[in-house]
Amino acid sequence: METLAESGIMLFVPKVYDIVWSAIILVIVALFFYKFFLPKFQAVFDERAAKIEGGIAKAEQAQKDADEAKAKYEAQLSNARVEASKIRDDARAEASHIVADARSRAEADANQITASAQRAIASQQQQALVSLKGEVGALATALAGKILGSELQDEKVQSSMIDQLIDGMDSDKQ
Amino acid sequence: MDIITLAEVSGNLSAIGYGLAAIGPGIGVGIVFGKAIESTARQPELGGKIQTLMWIGFGLIEFLALLGIVAGFIFA
Amino acid sequence: MHETLLSGLTLAANGPEIPTVDEFLPPEILFAGTPFAINRIILVRLVMVVIMLAVLGVSAAKAKLIPSRWQGFIEWGIEYVRDKIVYEVMGETRGKRYVPMITTLFFTILMFNICGIIPGMNIAATATIMMPLAFALWTFVQYWRTACREQGFFTYLKKECIPQGVPAPVLIIAIPIQLLDVVVIRPVSLTVRLFANMLAGHIIVALCFSATQFFLIEAHNWMAAFGAATFVFGFIMTLFEGFVAYLQAFIFATLSTVYINLSYPED
Repeated sequence: METLAESGIMLFVPKVYDIVWSAIILVIVALFFYKFFLPKFQAVFDERAAKIEGGIAKAEQAQKDADEAKAKYEAQLSNARVEASKIRDDARAEASHIVADARSRAEADANQITASAQRAIASQQQQALVSLKGEVGALATALAGKILGSELQDEKVQSSMIDQLIDGMDSDKQ
Repeated sequence: MDIITLAEVSGNLSAIGYGLAAIGPGIGVGIVFGKAIESTARQPELGGKIQTLMWIGFGLIEFLALLGIVAGFIFA
Repeated sequence: MHETLLSGLTLAANGPEIPTVDEFLPPEILFAGTPFAINRIILVRLVMVVIMLAVLGVSAAKAKLIPSRWQGFIEWGIEYVRDKIVYEVMGETRGKRYVPMITTLFFTILMFNICGIIPGMNIAATATIMMPLAFALWTFVQYWRTACREQGFFTYLKKECIPQGVPAPVLIIAIPIQLLDVVVIRPVSLTVRLFANMLAGHIIVALCFSATQFFLIEAHNWMAAFGAATFVFGFIMTLFEGFVAYLQAFIFATLSTVYINLSYPED
């Protein structure tokens, strides 16, 4: 057991070549892990994560698209429904409008016709009155002439007499 | 070993010394781990922090046992 | 299993060959006397580095998006170190920067420790003081650098040496201990823990198998049964060494992360 006592403490005293080889090995191993091994696996991890995320994103996109399409379709449907009811309302309004329009136009026409008819009647009446006045005057003159004899040949007398007669008739009428 | 010597104890006393030196750290490390398990069971949400503290304590206690080994060789 | 280990040793006639610590100070077999001398442990270490770089390098070069079973295993290892060691202790934002370092430490230490139970190598490549010390010094440099960058040298030293909520008289004891802890104990304990575990594990396994050889082969009598028992025990200890190889890699990586995390200001 002499060797143990002698060499025991030597266990804890590093030798030069031990230092050299440990340092060399540490540097080699560290370089290997830092520069090659871990970056390589990190790249694989990142790629995988990206791929999984990409897949999830794609699925989400598809879901979103489907949702959007559905929403669009539903919006279209409700739009169509609204439009249809609007068209129906419009049609109804138009119809009533047309009816009202036609009615008012007819009324106007009727009024116009009535008015023009009344105007025509009035003017004819006037005409008739005027011609009647003339004719009645001439007739009365002739008649009076016949009755009174030829004295009333003078134009001046004649017209004054007629006027007097007519005025008298008018005042009689009133 | 000659004929007169019937029984001989050979070996190094430092081995016994190390055996004695290992008792304390042994108990200490046991307590550290036991308490760490106990506290983690009580408050699992602090597990990470407890584990860190446990390792610090373990390192310090273990050093005493390691000191025993080295001392055994130095004072052999 | 341990014939290679014991071949160089002469078997004593009156008892099993007791493995000694001399096995961790093997003679130089190549380039003796130069700074590049190689002994058995360094040879094992170099061989393991070549194997590790070849296996992991080929795995990395062939890494694909859809992992094969082997690639899945490697990826599980990487994610284990990242999530269960680094992010568990530091959180993701801080931890990102240190993932390569801790992964290097964990994988290398694990591989070097495993050498201890690989037939033909039979000694952990971390079983000289300098290899664990190199790893520990890396951690040491890293946590001081982080401390200087994150909160400045003196702020860090003050925070580490004067624990909060400690009464003044206790500080007389606490300050030297804390100072010693930051400067000496942390790297030394990392080194010696790993080294001593490998040393003790190797000696136990070697002792068991040399006893088995002695009782079964050299002593042909009733003690053969005892040899069978030591063989079983040695076998169990070999498996246990495999577990210890992983455990020490884990503890080394975790403690490195914890020490670096302590360099950050309190959150």
